[in-house]
Amino acid sequence: MTAYRLSSGGLVDRSKVLSFTFDGRPLRGFAGDTLASALLANDQLLVGRSFKYHRPRGIVSAGPSEPNALVTLGSGARSDPNTKATVAELYAGLTAKSQNRWPSLGFDVGAVNGLLSPFLGAGFYYKTFMWPKQLWEKLYEPVIRRAAGLGRAVLERDPESYEKSWAFCDLLIVGGGPAGLMAALIAGRAGLRVILADEDFRLGGSLLSETETVDGSPASAFAERVVAELQSLDNVTLLSRTTVFGWYDDNVFGAVERVQKHVADPSAKLPTERVWRIAAKRALLATGAEERPLVFGGNDRPGVMMAGAVSTYAERYGVSAGKSVAIFTSGSSGYRTARGLSAKGVTISAIVDSRADASDAAPDGVRVIRSGAVVDTKGRQRLSGIVVERSGFEELIGCDALGMSGGWSPVIHLACQRGARPVWSEELKAFSAPNVGNGLRIVGSANGVYTLSGCLRDGVEKATAIATELGFNAAAAPVPVTETETETEGEPSFAALWYVPGARSKAFVDFQNDVHARDLGLALREGFGHVEHAKRYTTSGMATDQGKLSNINAVGILAGMRGVSPAEVGTTTFRPFYTPVSFGALAGTSRDGHATPTRKSPLHEWARKNGATFVDSGLWFRSAWFPRAGEKTWRESVDREVLNVRANVGLCDVSTLGKIEVFGADAAEFLNRLYCNPMLKLPVGKARYGLMLREDGFVFDDGTVSRFAEDHFFVTTTTAMAGAVMSHMDYCAQVLWPDLKVRFCSVSDQWAQMAIAGPKARDVLQQLIDEDISEAVFPFLAARSMVLRGGINARLFRISFSGELAFELAVPAGYGEAVAEQIMEAGRAHDICAYGVEALNVLRLEKGLLTHAEFDGRVTPDDAGLGRMFSAQKHDFIGKHLSARYGLTAADRMQLVGLKPVDKDKDMRAGAHLLKEGMKPSTLNDQGWVSSAGYSPVLGQHIALAFLKSGRERYGEKIVVWDKLRDHEVVAEVCDPVFVDPENKKLKA
Amino acid sequence: MASLITCPHCGVRPKEEFAIRGDASLVRPAPSASDEAWHDYVYVRANPRGRTVEHWHHVAGCRRFLVVERDTVTHEVYSVVDGAAAAREAQR
Amino acid sequence: MVRDYNNRHALDQKLRGAPKPAHADHLEVGHWQAIATVLAHVGLDAAVERALSSTPDLSLRYCGPGEWLVVSGVDTPVGLMRRLDMLCGTQAHVVDHSDGRVLMRLSGPSARQILAKGIGVDLHPAAFVLCGSTNVLCGHIAINLARTGEDVFELIVSRSFAESLFEDLMTMGRPFDLSAAFSE
Repeated sequence: MTAYRLSSGGLVDRSKVLSFTFDGRPLRGFAGDTLASALLANDQLLVGRSFKYHRPRGIVSAGPSEPNALVTLGSGARSDPNTKATVAELYAGLTAKSQNRWPSLGFDVGAVNGLLSPFLGAGFYYKTFMWPKQLWEKLYEPVIRRAAGLGRAVLERDPESYEKSWAFCDLLIVGGGPAGLMAALIAGRAGLRVILADEDFRLGGSLLSETETVDGSPASAFAERVVAELQSLDNVTLLSRTTVFGWYDDNVFGAVERVQKHVADPSAKLPTERVWRIAAKRALLATGAEERPLVFGGNDRPGVMMAGAVSTYAERYGVSAGKSVAIFTSGSSGYRTARGLSAKGVTISAIVDSRADASDAAPDGVRVIRSGAVVDTKGRQRLSGIVVERSGFEELIGCDALGMSGGWSPVIHLACQRGARPVWSEELKAFSAPNVGNGLRIVGSANGVYTLSGCLRDGVEKATAIATELGFNAAAAPVPVTETETETEGEPSFAALWYVPGARSKAFVDFQNDVHARDLGLALREGFGHVEHAKRYTTSGMATDQGKLSNINAVGILAGMRGVSPAEVGTTTFRPFYTPVSFGALAGTSRDGHATPTRKSPLHEWARKNGATFVDSGLWFRSAWFPRAGEKTWRESVDREVLNVRANVGLCDVSTLGKIEVFGADAAEFLNRLYCNPMLKLPVGKARYGLMLREDGFVFDDGTVSRFAEDHFFVTTTTAMAGAVMSHMDYCAQVLWPDLKVRFCSVSDQWAQMAIAGPKARDVLQQLIDEDISEAVFPFLAARSMVLRGGINARLFRISFSGELAFELAVPAGYGEAVAEQIMEAGRAHDICAYGVEALNVLRLEKGLLTHAEFDGRVTPDDAGLGRMFSAQKHDFIGKHLSARYGLTAADRMQLVGLKPVDKDKDMRAGAHLLKEGMKPSTLNDQGWVSSAGYSPVLGQHIALAFLKSGRERYGEKIVVWDKLRDHEVVAEVCDPVFVDPENKKLKA
Repeated sequence: MASLITCPHCGVRPKEEFAIRGDASLVRPAPSASDEAWHDYVYVRANPRGRTVEHWHHVAGCRRFLVVERDTVTHEVYSVVDGAAAAREAQR
Repeated sequence: MVRDYNNRHALDQKLRGAPKPAHADHLEVGHWQAIATVLAHVGLDAAVERALSSTPDLSLRYCGPGEWLVVSGVDTPVGLMRRLDMLCGTQAHVVDHSDGRVLMRLSGPSARQILAKGIGVDLHPAAFVLCGSTNVLCGHIAINLARTGEDVFELIVSRSFAESLFEDLMTMGRPFDLSAAFSE
């Protein structure tokens, strides 16, 4: 037993005991503990095995930079791999498991890698397993992946829920330490809308582990007072457990709030995590500074920790990292740790100071070894002693914990995420934040201010400046007084020490990725000395901690080896995310059925009541077919529906078509320029089929245009292109022809629209309408508003997508269901049936009518057999000029044809390619492709529409329909694409 | 790319409300213009480093095409104006 | 063959059954409302806006330059069309949208927090003022949003998206026990 809970002190609630387990072992901690502090209090220092060598590893830090203490929290579908124990809030019932060990943490077979380590240097895998290539996928990679690796992601469905939210504020403060809290207080009192975010579950930052007093009370009590005042202000939002992970354009920040990661039984009402997008007029980065590890031999032995972390565990959690703690420091901070521990009665075995002439005061009776260096550590799974070298003499000093301090680096990640590079400060011996303008200012120790009083003052001053800038009145506020701290103390009086010479064993730079100092040397020797190259070659800084502790030392070591300043080496690129964010949180509620919205037709309920099978069609749910009792396959239903429409009558929901009202004196001119066929002289009361091209001459969309008045048109689009056509019209009206007097708006949702098709369509429909809709009065392509019996305003169109006598009836959406029911009732005597989009597709296929299966963006009007619609007489329209290009008018273009298999029982599928008989399949021999195919119940065989080279000249020719994807080949006869009623006798009946 | 765009009609909006169409400096040639002019208009695009003008369609807002002048390097947005107004200006 | 036709509300399936008691945060959906789109003739934006905004019982919702949704709680759809034609028929094109749009009223102390989960616009009363309205994206769905009270917002959505938006809003309101019902 070495690490232990101190008898008093700390901000944990000793009256609230929390039970938890680690690797199945029941342990106890207190409310206010992190998992790491509770593990330490239980003397569970060993928490994991390293990535490559499987070396035993212990807790190093007390915060988000932790490289070693990664555990899997929870179990089953709820398990959360790679969670840092140092930030995981302890709760009753927490279960934690160590990772990357087999069979157990104490005894790990993979540790044999450590014995092989002379052969496992950087780049080893790339070099060794390059050849033979096929073995890489099958053998090397799976084995290496098993040996290396972190926690495992589970395959079960994530049962947690997540959400996102926007937030807007005048001032976002990132970090709730002394500088952040003071800034929030000043800005909050001045009336700014303030958001203060801190990743900890308790606000206060370094104040929570500070030995100093502020305004006469302990720092933590001061923090509590400030937080209480902030909570009382309506204009201040405090977000604890919230990590600001990214800074984006226009001062928008991304943050993730762990709403209930810290509870055993999450409430179903609340999300587990919430992602915030915070748009801030101003922001303050009050993220503090990170202590640097020292790179010395054996520095990864469990028990070697950051000195600041040792202090935090003692002051905030009342846990001592050991019975006898040694300090290895290159600056004043190590002394501060020693004084704090000493005051709590912990034995300090020695302070090893790399500097020769430091004036820092050690606690009474503690031995200080100046100009000393730790060159090795002893112990197996726990530190038992350190080997200290001084002036060529070595000494073994017994200790069970070592606090190391290599100076401080401001935490400036966010400020560098938008391209600005950190700036090397010779004064601070650290990279500091670049000037990124007034939107984001850096404050406190993130700004290189290392005294408590300095941080408090910086917070006050920067918040006052921001309040003034935004037009608020910030009352002058006194800076809280710190008592014992002198100005010099706590200044970065450290000597930069990137690498401790004389290491007797591996000196690790990146603990998590097992990169040691020699790996960086190898990288340099092999030509990968650029910081970005060295990173990738050695993987230093590429682990889940993204090198928060290690990067600065890697830069320093590279600089030393290259004989240049760290400024010249520079840093690698900072990018979001600051710490890992779960995919669940990033997806928010956009998952499963909510990844996209679902659109429902006004006839959805009618279709459901008629037994429809629905199909996803873009965002829409559409009725695909209406099975009846006894029908075993979808084909049976579809065949019946098709035959019934051809023989009697059917009703189909076509509400999903895009519908646009076009108004204005220039409406006709506008449409005339949009469509390739003429629209100017379309008579009032008439509809016309219209074809829109893209500017490059290919077909964009088709639909109908109806004219209700001289200056009022009604346009339909295909379902799929409704949005795109509307945007195209916006563009044309606003950007291309802003002087045309035209206005339009989508009415897609206003009208329920149904097709009533079949020889008996008129007989059925006439029962609902008083007006005469006979062929003489309401012929093919008539289009008019009319009133249904019972007073419903409707629009009736004599248009057909089936080749049958057909109408499309539009009624206000809410009445759609009732009107459809009425039509079905009126049609019962005529054997009416409901038909879905599958039958609709067969009906149009039999008539050679086209959809976007044909208009796939490579097809001109002439290709599609619609060349007569292209109005070369018109002065101008979208797509006219480039339609005349040689390539688009060539005689051997693929042209629309019909196909019928020679063997009537054979089928064809869309996507198949066409080949001359006896020719080998090749791009050169390709004769075309099948765009649509299906079974025609009228013909009693499969038919297809296809595009075939010079196809219209080749009717009667036999062609091979080749479908390698489905290993299918049939011979088909090329024919006219209109299979049924080519004279249109039924259409105009 | 910008996170927020200040629409002259709707105010500050997240970029998700917009669809970017591309180069706003293109002028549709006259019907009688040369094949080259039409080819350039339809197919040829610059990929500028620095200032660029683009059409952003405020699809989920006012449905206006806006001309956004922005910097492809710094992502700074210099101006956002209504596309029709800009087009009329250009035709003058 | 003459009959009365029932007008089915887009949220019938969602709000079927007796209304439950409304909670502090509540989503209220009218059984019917009259809504029209008004498109001003080119150059007559200001005149049309004047004509419409001076009329009692009509609530004007801004969509874009020269385009509004007009909501009436007292007219039938046909009545509203007739009234608008009289008001501005020579200056604007009027399109009935009573069936094509669904209006939902979200009210309660958490209304802003609920909407912030879907809407990337500052809803602070200083930024989004009382009686303000605008087209905006809510989650994946384009809507028109209006503030009709300090804690009251009206959302107008295209009919085919209404169920999706409704489900989204109920999810967004789950932490606040958001209730929903048709108006009495």
